[in-house]
Amino acid sequence: MNPFAYSRASDPAQAISGVAGQQDAKFLGGGTNLIDLMKMGVETPAQLIDINRLPLTKIEELPGGKGVRVGALVRNSDMAEHPLITSRYPLLSQAVLAGASPQLRNLATTGGNLLQRTRCYYFYDPAFPACNKRKPGSGCGAIDGFNRIHAILGQSDQCIATHPSDMCVAMAALDAVVRVQGPKGEREIAFADFHRLPGNTPDQDTNLAHDELITAVDLPMMPFAKRSHYLKVRDRASYAFALVSVAAILDLDGQNIRSARIALGGVAHKPWRALKAEKAVAGKTAGEQVFQSAAEAELSDAKGYKYNSFKIELAKRAIVRALNTVATIA
Amino acid sequence: MAVAPLPPVAQPISRVDGKLKVTGTARYAAEFTLPNLVYGQLIQSTIANGRVVSIDSQLAKWAPGVIGILTRENAPAFKPYPDQQTKKGGPGESRVPLQDDEVHWVGQHLGVIIADTFENAQQAASLVRVQYAATSPLLAMDSPAAEKESWLPEYVFARDKLQNSRGDVESALASAPTRIDATYTTPIENHNPIETYSTLAVWETPDRLLIHEATRGIKQLQKIVANAFSLPVGNVRIISPFVGGAFGSKGFQWSHTLLTAAAARLVNRPVKLTFTRPQMFDSAGQRAHTSQAVSLAANGDAKLVALRHSTTTHCSPVSEYLESCGLSSRMLYSCANVQVSHRLVRLNLTTPCPMRAPGEAPGVFALECAMDELAYKLSIDPVELRLRNYAETDENEKRPWTSKHLRECYERGAKIFGWAKRNPQPNATRANDGTRVGWGMATAVYPANQQTAAAKATLTSNGEIVIRSATHEIGTGTYTTMSQLAASALGLPIETIRFELGDSDFPEAPNNGGSWQTASVGPAVLGVCGELKKQMFDAASKVLGGAPPDQMELIKGFVRVKNEPSRSVSLRELRARAGLPWIEAEFKADPNKEEREKFSFYSFGAIFVEVRVDDFGQTRVNRIASVYDAGRILNPKLAQSQIMSGNLFGIGMALMEETIPDATIGRNVNANLAEYHLPVCADVPAFEIDFINEPDPHLPDLGARGIGEIGIVGAPAAVANAIFHATGKRVRDLPITPDKLI
Repeated sequence: MNPFAYSRASDPAQAISGVAGQQDAKFLGGGTNLIDLMKMGVETPAQLIDINRLPLTKIEELPGGKGVRVGALVRNSDMAEHPLITSRYPLLSQAVLAGASPQLRNLATTGGNLLQRTRCYYFYDPAFPACNKRKPGSGCGAIDGFNRIHAILGQSDQCIATHPSDMCVAMAALDAVVRVQGPKGEREIAFADFHRLPGNTPDQDTNLAHDELITAVDLPMMPFAKRSHYLKVRDRASYAFALVSVAAILDLDGQNIRSARIALGGVAHKPWRALKAEKAVAGKTAGEQVFQSAAEAELSDAKGYKYNSFKIELAKRAIVRALNTVATIA
Repeated sequence: MAVAPLPPVAQPISRVDGKLKVTGTARYAAEFTLPNLVYGQLIQSTIANGRVVSIDSQLAKWAPGVIGILTRENAPAFKPYPDQQTKKGGPGESRVPLQDDEVHWVGQHLGVIIADTFENAQQAASLVRVQYAATSPLLAMDSPAAEKESWLPEYVFARDKLQNSRGDVESALASAPTRIDATYTTPIENHNPIETYSTLAVWETPDRLLIHEATRGIKQLQKIVANAFSLPVGNVRIISPFVGGAFGSKGFQWSHTLLTAAAARLVNRPVKLTFTRPQMFDSAGQRAHTSQAVSLAANGDAKLVALRHSTTTHCSPVSEYLESCGLSSRMLYSCANVQVSHRLVRLNLTTPCPMRAPGEAPGVFALECAMDELAYKLSIDPVELRLRNYAETDENEKRPWTSKHLRECYERGAKIFGWAKRNPQPNATRANDGTRVGWGMATAVYPANQQTAAAKATLTSNGEIVIRSATHEIGTGTYTTMSQLAASALGLPIETIRFELGDSDFPEAPNNGGSWQTASVGPAVLGVCGELKKQMFDAASKVLGGAPPDQMELIKGFVRVKNEPSRSVSLRELRARAGLPWIEAEFKADPNKEEREKFSFYSFGAIFVEVRVDDFGQTRVNRIASVYDAGRILNPKLAQSQIMSGNLFGIGMALMEETIPDATIGRNVNANLAEYHLPVCADVPAFEIDFINEPDPHLPDLGARGIGEIGIVGAPAAVANAIFHATGKRVRDLPITPDKLI
């Protein structure tokens, strides 16, 4: 691990000024991803600003029935069990509990979960010479390498890594809003705009500026979100990244679908909002055929590689199953 | 000396070292510390084939905390490993480190950074720049270039013959009414004990070396190190009281031990070198990739008339060890025409070595899947097919078994599992949640080996009996089983026995491996207890006015004359009152060579598995019933745990485990526990494990055969067969991950 300086911030402004203008400074939250990357030599910050003492640990109702605010430092375990989450956004609770292990969830924070780096063998090990994310312009080791866990949607010829979070897939479906604070004040970022597709700059996973701190995630009021399901397909029963996951919400009037919110995990560089599938089911009657054609529509542009083409069929099946499950929730 | 299974033998006693382990006070190799201790970190190659041109360690040299750098330039001249250790398929590396500039795989050790902390050593190691003259590596068995690098070796372990045949396989295959031909493949797998390798070396004098090592072969390591440094064997001491799992790793010759000792000499301080998790995948052994072509043919009575099992597997450029997949195919079933062959390919990958049930685990996977395929082709129940081909004798060695209760294993296992209710139709059974349900079974087999072992017993001045042997506790319960045996032999409570192990100064014991530890060290412990008892009675005879020794008995804390309770002497006082400088005994137990030539020694078992497979290709093992004939069971609780862990290991092999080297670079892509999948608690099925528990009459002292490895044998095939039954899909390539089922 590269040597680094450590300091502890006592309020957000202090934390932000600590990284502003310091390209090699980083915030330290739960550290469950950053410390791993530092051990591997992928991340080499010269300075860590520990934000764990900042007062961002609350889950509270927003005034005017606008929804729920989750502080950036709420631990994943606490969020998953919180009554406001389990009662109003069971999808989010399910997704968080489907991720990582209890030990990791006890440490991992909401903001940190948003900022975990995309997963790729060739990115995580600096001894592999080619990785455009780690070393822009060096090539991609995965495209012609072992790419079983890689992306089938939205990837570029620069990078085919996937975002590993389960929590974020649920938040994408819930139309969450990320609240951030920077030297010039606060701003809100719609969830769909928070993470990036790789394009020609795969080194940038998000649209968060270097000197911006996530302070909270707002979950808008969505009464029909109680009718939702998180489905995760993986190589073992626990502690495995999703091969494919689906967060599905249906706003139903009897068996008529007013609208749907669908997001996919394990298939793209960011939590993948399945807008084509949503469009395909809106206004239709819930049923296998409708769900099937929605899945086909969503995956119509999907592209597989030597080892991950199975994800295309897997994603279709998972979408259909998740929607079927939601449609039968009483 | 026949010992009746008096308590506490055969009792489900909890581990005598359990409290030490759960409270963190059992000391493992990496937890030892010494004054002035410094830390080593390996410099490793990043190419798979070629030569080192230069090592630039300028940056590392000035990095914080760096004390020394060991490379080929300042390495001692290690004496080569003796031929008998490395030739004829001996496991471990045949090349001592740092004596040449050759690079044979990614991760090969090129030197050691020594620094004041582990972290500084690791950081400095990352600053070393190596220039190579690279050659394109051979990384796959199925290339024409690899074919050229292959041959048919004669032996593995300098013991087992690899090319065998009896009868006329070709004609039998050609003329049989029913036959199947299939190729099964298993991937590279790595040992992943929670405790990684660790060495702490200190030169106590210029020619005396002390090593704390995570090893299951202290006596072997002592000789390896002494030879390499040209020291008398007695000048090297290896200490290893607890090993945090091995599974085939932590034995044989690997370079890190020598490098740590050389580093300690270089900086003249104790040096500790502990592997990181990624280093567990490239530094000291793995199970090789295997490709196995199996042909079976049967006549109209479902009797096997031909069996051919041809294995191709790989070694590294510095080893000729081979995963001997076909050995069980020679003896598991009755069949007149059998051909077993093994081809070995040299690849630029980490040196393979034994991993739990080496040969048997992948080999019986192939054979038992092929038997399942044959059963379907013959429209006969898989258990019935095995009964029709039951081997009443070892047809390979042409001799009887010592004892074999495999038939009872099938019967009891089938009954516990409810096999009779199985609908033979594949892809026909659904659970309430719509998942496919499959039932599969397989036979398990493992040789019942025994090696020479010795033990020493001492009556201490506080009346305690201490028994020592240079054996190991790798998590299997050695302290407990040996204490039980000693207590049983002496007729004393187990609390009065102290069993010590893990020190090369103790009497000879073999490497822990081959499931032979209990069967080897057990007789030595029983023997030495008999000797000690005799000496205690002789001493007591002196103290008690010449009472005849054969009239004495041992009770807690005392020797006394039978039926005369007043004539007794306490164990505390015995030595002093008898005027003896010590009371101790040594005993060496050898395997009975004559019996070993007359009989075949094997354990057997049957495993029945239920899986659930969903529409996404996710397989979860729901329940397992397994029954084993492993002779007498010395501690049912520990035995259950062993088998459960073996069965679980088999689930991992069937569904998850796979080390993946990048196809062009040869570097492992998933050398971590997040992406090299092992079963987690949520993957553990419901178990019903049972033992026949009939003592082996040809192991008269113990009646017990080993159980360390047989639990994994057959389990992967039972899972694969159950998946076929659930889905109608025959997957012959492990691990059976969702992508192979959708």
